Formats: sequence, structure tokens, C-alpha cells
Amino acid sequence: MSQRATVSAEVTLPDPSERLLAIRNLDAGYGDLQVLSDVHMDVADEEYVVIVGPNGAGKSTVMKSVFGLTTYMGGEVVFDGTDISERNPDEIIYEGISYVPQTGNVFGSLSVRENLEMGAYILDEVPEDRIEDVYERFPILRERSEQDAGTLSGGQQQMLAMGRALMLDPDLLLLDEPSAGLAPDLVEDMFDRIDRINDDGTAILMVEQNAKEALRRCDRGYVLVQGQNRYEDDGSVLLNDEQVRQDFLGG
Amino acid sequence: MGLVANAGDSRAAVVDRPGAVAVAAVLGYLVLDLVVKLSGISVFFLGMQVLGGSLELGSLLSMVIDGLLVGLAVGLAGIGLSMTYSILDFANFAHGDTVTAGAFLGWVAAYIAAGLGTGAPIAELFMLNSGRQLSTVSTFVPVLLGLVVAGVGSVGVTLLVDRLTYRPMRAAGNISLLIASIGVALAMRYLIAFVFGTQTSGVASGGLRITFFGTVSMTDNEVTLLVVSLLLMLAVHLLLQRTKLGKAMRAMADNEDLARVTGIPTERVIRLTWILGGGLAGVGGYLLVLESGTISFNFGWILLLLIFAAVIVGGIGSIYGAMAGGVLIGLVDSLALIWLPSGLTRAAAFLVLIVVLLLRPSGIFGGVTTA
Repeated sequence: MSQRATVSAEVTLPDPSERLLAIRNLDAGYGDLQVLSDVHMDVADEEYVVIVGPNGAGKSTVMKSVFGLTTYMGGEVVFDGTDISERNPDEIIYEGISYVPQTGNVFGSLSVRENLEMGAYILDEVPEDRIEDVYERFPILRERSEQDAGTLSGGQQQMLAMGRALMLDPDLLLLDEPSAGLAPDLVEDMFDRIDRINDDGTAILMVEQNAKEALRRCDRGYVLVQGQNRYEDDGSVLLNDEQVRQDFLGG
Repeated sequence: MGLVANAGDSRAAVVDRPGAVAVAAVLGYLVLDLVVKLSGISVFFLGMQVLGGSLELGSLLSMVIDGLLVGLAVGLAGIGLSMTYSILDFANFAHGDTVTAGAFLGWVAAYIAAGLGTGAPIAELFMLNSGRQLSTVSTFVPVLLGLVVAGVGSVGVTLLVDRLTYRPMRAAGNISLLIASIGVALAMRYLIAFVFGTQTSGVASGGLRITFFGTVSMTDNEVTLLVVSLLLMLAVHLLLQRTKLGKAMRAMADNEDLARVTGIPTERVIRLTWILGGGLAGVGGYLLVLESGTISFNFGWILLLLIFAAVIVGGIGSIYGAMAGGVLIGLVDSLALIWLPSGLTRAAAFLVLIVVLLLRPSGIFGGVTTA
């Protein structure tokens, strides 16, 4: 059996400056409610990292904390050598991180193209080449470009949400449950598309309910329980670990 | 659903949507009655006149125009109310008094500009009581200047109120904001009453009557209202559809959280919302005074009920809904005169509001498009 890397005091974490994203001793939550305590996590350049864990473990909260959407309570979030732990989303977007929320991730009354334009709002001009890239990646969006986003199917909306997030060519893409609400036959397709985004050089930090599939595809995974790190290792190692399988992957 | 449906459909409709069928029946009766009235026939049943009477085509058309004019001004003022509702998430009860404030600022500017050099004392001009009646044709430049001052002035008033009242409490709930806006409304209204008094002043009357097609006539002031409000609505449409900031406004009205994580500068969009909404409210008020000829300290407050009705009928949060709702409410308010005594036409406008909400709770444009 492969060795299991649990977090303990002896584990030496990499120097934050050597990582694209480094979360250290992070405490965060909403208002007075603390959700995360002492969380650490790393994402290297072009790495594909997945967070799994039971409901209410704080998986999405990690992601929201990276993007400045939670109440900061301590620790640090370092991105590309810069401490961003107390920044607001509208500042973080300039650093090269894009975030795709789980729900409500498109502007329903704006057209597909306008959604993509909004993704590049911070640029002075609409980057036509980026729009073209997104259309190449998701051809259905080109067909629907003048249609209101609210009229798209769930899978198409998810593609549009990712396309919007890719408009700034981010170094790190945060994906919150991209397969949620998709028909089963579309889930594979969605994971394939995420693989390709990662292959093209964008690091990914993803929360996913579909834990087995996500661990199969990622580079590394973290298991989060009750707002704290429980396990971390390569995806395949976690996938084959007896304990992890039993407790978190349904046997 | 059309008024005429085939037998099978209509049977299904009676079962599924009895309310819609009842409304269609009432509308059908009114249209029939209107046609009979126009042809000058009366139909009696059991000694009661059930249909018809007399109505000149010309007076029908002038009622339509009256309703359209009031409706356009109401729609113009409603845009701001609808936008602050969708983007800032609260019903701004001070909006009606912004209309009044803009109108007073504009008319004082127009009055002083028109009165300069005529020997009238400035104080009298300022108080709008030199007895002079302005019109677009006879005093074009002062009227135009007043229009601009009304727009710019109400923007200033709105931004000042936002800075003093709403911005410090942006984190507070929308009920607190709503209550604060009622306070702002009272303060503004009685400040205006304190300065200008509570009397109604006549400030404008048509300088020229233009007749179209031999039957319909409009004054130059009415034409000004028509043209300016249509142009401004077109401008708002282009702003929302073509410009980056306009699209960001629609995006923010649609999903504020997503707008924030997308990098849209939300504070700037909020400021633009106040600027646009406030400016249009002031211009709407100014134009309404130009059309009706009189101004008083509480006309915006009274108008606010109509504005709310227009915005809700159109679908609160929808800018196009506010424009369409304004015109609909204006037309109903005016055309109800055919069947009701003049004191009851307002009631007809609100009846239409209730009926629309029963049939389509989110309003005409609600749920279709947020902007």
C-alpha cells in the first residue's frame, strides 16, 4: 500500500515563494462564524489540485478565501510572492486569479458575448483574440454568441462561466463544483475540458463532489474535514488509500 | 393571449386562467363600447344604456396624446427608481422629491434667464412669481437652459444625498435604507416648501399650437416633452446596450456578486446609477411642469405613486419595463376619463396595476430581462 501523507508537525511545507499559491495557517469564515482553521494548501505553476471532503467541510470556503470573499481571521494567502490575504476580489482579479462560482455564474440577461466582454472588464479594450480563443475552446458559445446567457442549458452555462473566467488568461483558475447540476453524460466532457485548460498551462484549484473522477484526473488532492486539513497526496495515491476510500469516497 | 381564440382553446383558458379570461372579457367590452361610442350609437337594454354614447375621434386622440405625454415623463422618472431598486436593492421613496427638486432648480434657472433684462427683480424671478409664462417657442434658450440645469442639478442633489445618507449606511439592510429614504423625502419636500412656499405657481403655457391631421393638436411645450423624453430613452437604451459601463450596469443589476468577482468596479457603477437615475428624474419633472404649466412643492411626491405603479407594472428592476410601464399607466390614467369621472382615473391606473400583478406577478418585463 502506498504511504499516506497526513499532516503533522514534522511535515515541512514548501517555501511560499516557490509556489504559485500558498495558503498558510489560514483561519477564515463568514462574519463571526469561523469555518476554516489552520488550513494550508499549495498550488504549483500549471498544477491541477483538487479539494475533496464531506459536505460542510469548508471546501468552497477555501476557494472564496483565496478570492477575498470571506472574513479573514488569520494566516496568509500568498499568490506569486504577494500576500493577498486581506485583498478584495476587485484587486485580486488583477493578480491573475479567476474564480467560477458554483451557482449564478453567468449574467443571465446579457448575451453570451457580453458575458465574455464582462470577463475582461478590467482591460481597456475588448480582447477579440481572447474571445476567439474561448470560442475555439467552446464552439457552442460561438453559435450562441448573441443569445441571452439565461437561455443556455446548464452545461453551456458552465462553459460560458469558464470562458468568462479565462478571458484574462489567468495563471490560476478557481473552479467551484463545475460538474454540479450537469447531466451524467456531460460530466465526463466537462472534466475533459478542464484537463485541456490545465494542459494549456493554467493552474487549477477545484472543489468537486464527484471526488473519484476528480482525483483520477488531478495532480494532487487535499481532503478537508471540518475546516481542517486531513489528508494530502497525489490524486492517485489518495484514490487508492484504504482509509480515504472508506471514509470519503464511499468504499 | 389574444382576445379572439377558437372554441377549444378558450374552454381550456377558462379552466386554467379564469382571471385572464375575465380581464379579456372586460377589455373586449371596453373596446366594443369605444367603437360604438365613436360611431355615435347608443345601445339600451332594459332602459339602461349599456353601450355607446358619443365620443369624437379628435377627443379620443387628444386623450391618447395626453396619456402618452404624462406616461413618457413618468417613464423617464421611473428609470431611476427601477435602477436604484435593481442595483442598490432598495425602494427609494425620495425619488419623487428628486423629481420636484430637479424641476424647481430647472425652472428657477429658466425663469431667471428669461427674466434678465426685463427689469423684473431677481428675487421675484427666483420665487417663480413674476407671473410670466414660458414656452419653448417664445423663450427657447431659457427653456433649454432650464432643462440642462434640471438634469445637472438633480444629479448634484442625488449625489449629495447619497454621500450624506445612503453611502454611510450601505452595509445596512434595505429596509433601513427604505426608511432613511422616507426621511430624505420629507426633508427635501419641506426644504423646498420652506424656500418656495406651498402655493402652486403657473410658470409655463404653450406658445404655439400645432395641428396634425386636422384633428389632433399639441402645444410646442408638449412637443418638447415628447421629443426630449423619446431622445433620452433612446440614449439610455444605447448606453445600456452599446457601452462598456452600460453593460456593466446591466450585469450588476443581474448578479451583483458575480459582477464583483468579475472585476466590475461596483462603486463606480453605483455612482453612475445615481447620476443617471437622478438626472432623468429631474428632467422628467421639469418636462412635466413644462407640459402641465404649474409647479408646486409636492407634485413629485404625488407623482411618486404613479411612478411606482409604472415601475411595478413594467417589472421592478427592468429599465425597459419602467419606460413601457410609464406609458401604459399614463395612457390608462388618461383614457379612463372616457368611462370614469376625472377624480377616479388614478384609481383606474392602480386597478390596472393590480390586474397586471395578478396575471403576471413579476410585471410585464420582469423575469424576461433585468435591464
